[in-house]
Amino acid sequence: MELFLNRISDGLSNGATYALIAMALVMIFKATTLINFAQGEFAMFGGFIALVLATERGLPMWIAVVGAMAITAVLAAGFERTLIRPFDPSDHLPLVIITLGLFLGINALAGIIWRFDPRAFPELFPSGNALTWNTVTLSWYTIGTIVTVAVVAGGLTLLLNTTKIGLAFRAVSSNLESSELAGIKVGPTLQFGWAIAAAVGTLGVCVFVASPFRQLEPNVMVTGLIFAVSAAALGGLDSLGGAIAGGLAIGLVQSIGVPYLGIPSELSLLAAVAVLMLVLLFKPSGLFGTPQVERV
Amino acid sequence: MATTSPKFLFTEGTNRYRAYKIAGFALLALLILIVAFAYNDTGSITLFDNSYKLSITRVTKSISFMVAILGLQVVAGFTGQLSLGQGFFFGTGAYISAWLVADQNWAWFTSLIVVVPVCFVFGLVAGIPALRIRGLYLALVTLGLAAIFPSLIKLDFLLPYTGGAAGKTVDSDFIPPSWLPLDGMINALHSLPLIGQYFGDGEGMSNKEEQRVWTFFMMVILALICFKLVSNLIKSRPGRAIRAVRDNETSAAVNGMSLSFHKTMSFGVASALGGVGGMIYVAELGIASEGDFTQLISILFIVGMVVGGVGTLSGAAIGGLVIAFIPDWASSTQNLPGIPERWLQGPTGGLILGIGLIVITFVLPGGVISGVRKIRGRFVEVLPKTPAIQLAGAGAAVSADESDIPNDSLGSESPDLSTTVDES
Repeated sequence: MELFLNRISDGLSNGATYALIAMALVMIFKATTLINFAQGEFAMFGGFIALVLATERGLPMWIAVVGAMAITAVLAAGFERTLIRPFDPSDHLPLVIITLGLFLGINALAGIIWRFDPRAFPELFPSGNALTWNTVTLSWYTIGTIVTVAVVAGGLTLLLNTTKIGLAFRAVSSNLESSELAGIKVGPTLQFGWAIAAAVGTLGVCVFVASPFRQLEPNVMVTGLIFAVSAAALGGLDSLGGAIAGGLAIGLVQSIGVPYLGIPSELSLLAAVAVLMLVLLFKPSGLFGTPQVERV
Repeated sequence: MATTSPKFLFTEGTNRYRAYKIAGFALLALLILIVAFAYNDTGSITLFDNSYKLSITRVTKSISFMVAILGLQVVAGFTGQLSLGQGFFFGTGAYISAWLVADQNWAWFTSLIVVVPVCFVFGLVAGIPALRIRGLYLALVTLGLAAIFPSLIKLDFLLPYTGGAAGKTVDSDFIPPSWLPLDGMINALHSLPLIGQYFGDGEGMSNKEEQRVWTFFMMVILALICFKLVSNLIKSRPGRAIRAVRDNETSAAVNGMSLSFHKTMSFGVASALGGVGGMIYVAELGIASEGDFTQLISILFIVGMVVGGVGTLSGAAIGGLVIAFIPDWASSTQNLPGIPERWLQGPTGGLILGIGLIVITFVLPGGVISGVRKIRGRFVEVLPKTPAIQLAGAGAAVSADESDIPNDSLGSESPDLSTTVDES
C-alpha cells in the first residue's frame, strides 16, 4: 500500500510534466491541426536558456525560467512567421517536414552549443518531503509540479477567455475561414499560439529536469515528446483539459501499471505508445476532444 | 521550357532513344566501377586541411539507406501515407538477418528468405492503423513505433537473440569467389595511362579490400533488383492504383480500388524493402546495435526522401547518399576558415540536415531530382512514341507533322510523364 501511494506520487509528478508539453502541443493543434514535432526540442532549448541565465548571468532561478519562456516564445513566433506561415495550412506534408527539420536542427544546435554531457538543473522547488507518513512520502517536487500545471492551466484559461487575443485565438481554432472574414488577423493570432505553446513547453522541461533525479541534456525530450504526444492524443488533441488528464493518466500508467503488470521498466515507452495506438484506432478524438465528422 | 527548345530530342522506340538509354546505363556502370576500385580504401578529398573520406564501406552503407528510402517512397511518396516508422522495419530486418547469420550460420542472402516475409507481415500489421487514421495521426503512430524499437530489443526474452544493449556482432564476410579476377581487374585499371594512378598501387588487393569490393558489388546488384522491382510495380496496375489513392482517395474508391487493400499492401512492400535495407546495413557494418535504430534513423529516412525527391525512385538513391555522407563529412570538418573550431565539433551533420530539409522544402519542393530534371530538360527531351493512327491518317503530311507536334503539344507534357515514372 505504501509503495502504491509512493508510485502514485511519482506518477503524478511525471504526468504533470507530460501534461505541460501536451498542453503546448494542443495549443498548436487547436489552431492549425498541426502537430509540432519540434515542440519537445523548443522546450529543451528553453531549458538550456534558463540554465544559462541562472548559472552564467546569476539570475534567480524562477526569473531565469520566466526569461527563458519569453525568449523561446519570441523564437517560436519568429519560426512561425518565417517557416510555417508561407505554407498552405491544409497541406500537412510540407509542414510536418518543416517541423521535423526543426527537430533535427534544434537538437543538433543544442548539442553543438552545450554538448551532450548531462547537466544538473537547479531545483525549482524546496527539496525534501512535504508529508511523511510511515514510508509514504509526498515530496515538495510532486506538489510543485502539480501546482505548476494548475497555475498554467488556470492562466491559459484566463488568457483564452478574457483577453481579446484569446477570443481571436478561439475563433480561429473554431473556424479559420469565418474568422478571417470577420476581420481577425489570422497570421498574428496563430503566431501568438506558437509563442504561448513554446513558453508552456519551456516551463514543462524546466519543471521536468528540476527533479533531483534528472539532468538536462539535448536528448532529454526525444522520448519525452512521445509521452507527451500520447498524453495529448489520449485527452483529445484539441482539448487543454484533456491534455492535463491525459498527461496524468500516462504518468500513472507509467509508474503504476508498468511495475504491477511486471513489465520491465524500459517498456514504459511501449506502454505509452500502446495507449497512443489504441486511442487513435478506437477513439481518434480522444477522451475530451471534439469528434471529427468527415463528409464524404 | 517553351522558349528554349532542347538540344537533343529522342523519340521513344527509335534506335537513337535506345542508344541514349544504353549510354545512361553505361555511365552508371562506369560510376560503379570507379567507386569500387578507385575509392576502395584510401579515397579521400582534402579541403582546408579536412580530409573527407569516400571509402567504399560508406557507399555500401548508403546503399542500405537507399533501399530503405525506396520503401519509404512506396508508402509515403506513391501511396501518400506519411510513415515515420521505416526505422522499425530497417532494424527488424537488420536484427533478423544478424541472428540468422551469426547463430544459425545462414548466408546473408538466404536470410532474406526470412527477412522479407517477416517484415512484409509486420508492415501489413502496422498498416492497419492507416485504414482508420490518416495524415498526422498516422505519422504519430508510426513515430511511436520507431521510438519503441530500441526498448523492444532489450526485452528479456529477446536477449539471447538480439544481444541486448551490447549489440549483435556478426563476423561473417562476403568472400569473393576464387574465379573472379579482382586482382587482375584492378591491376589492369592501374596500368591504364593517365588515370591509372588512381586505381590501387598495382599490387593487387588485400583480402580485406577484395571482400569490401565484393560486398559492394553484391549490394549494388541487390539494390538494382529492388529498384527495378519497385519501378515495375509503380508502372503497373497496382502502381497506378496506389498513385490514385494518393491523389484522391474518394475518386480512387469510386473507381473501384480497394483503399484498405492498397494501403496495407504498400505498407507491406515498404516494410519488406526496409528489412532488405537493414540486412545490407548489418552485412556491411558487422554489428547491429540498438542505438542505430532509434526514431532518429526514421527521421533521417524522411530527410533522404525529401531531399532526393518525394515520389521518385532516383530520389531514393540521392537521399541514401545524402544521409550517409553528410553527417560523416560534417564531423570530418574540423577547421574551416572564418568559423571558430568550437562550432565545428558535435553533431554538425544533424544541423546541416535539419537546415537542408527546411531549405529544400522552400526552394526545391520536388527535391534534388526535380532540379536535375529541370536542368536536363534544357538539353534532352524524350518524346513519347508517335501514335500510329497519325501515321496512317495524315498521309503525305506525316513527316512535317511529326516534327511539329512534339514541340507544341506533346513537348509540354512529356516532362510531366517523366516525373511520375522514373526511369532509372
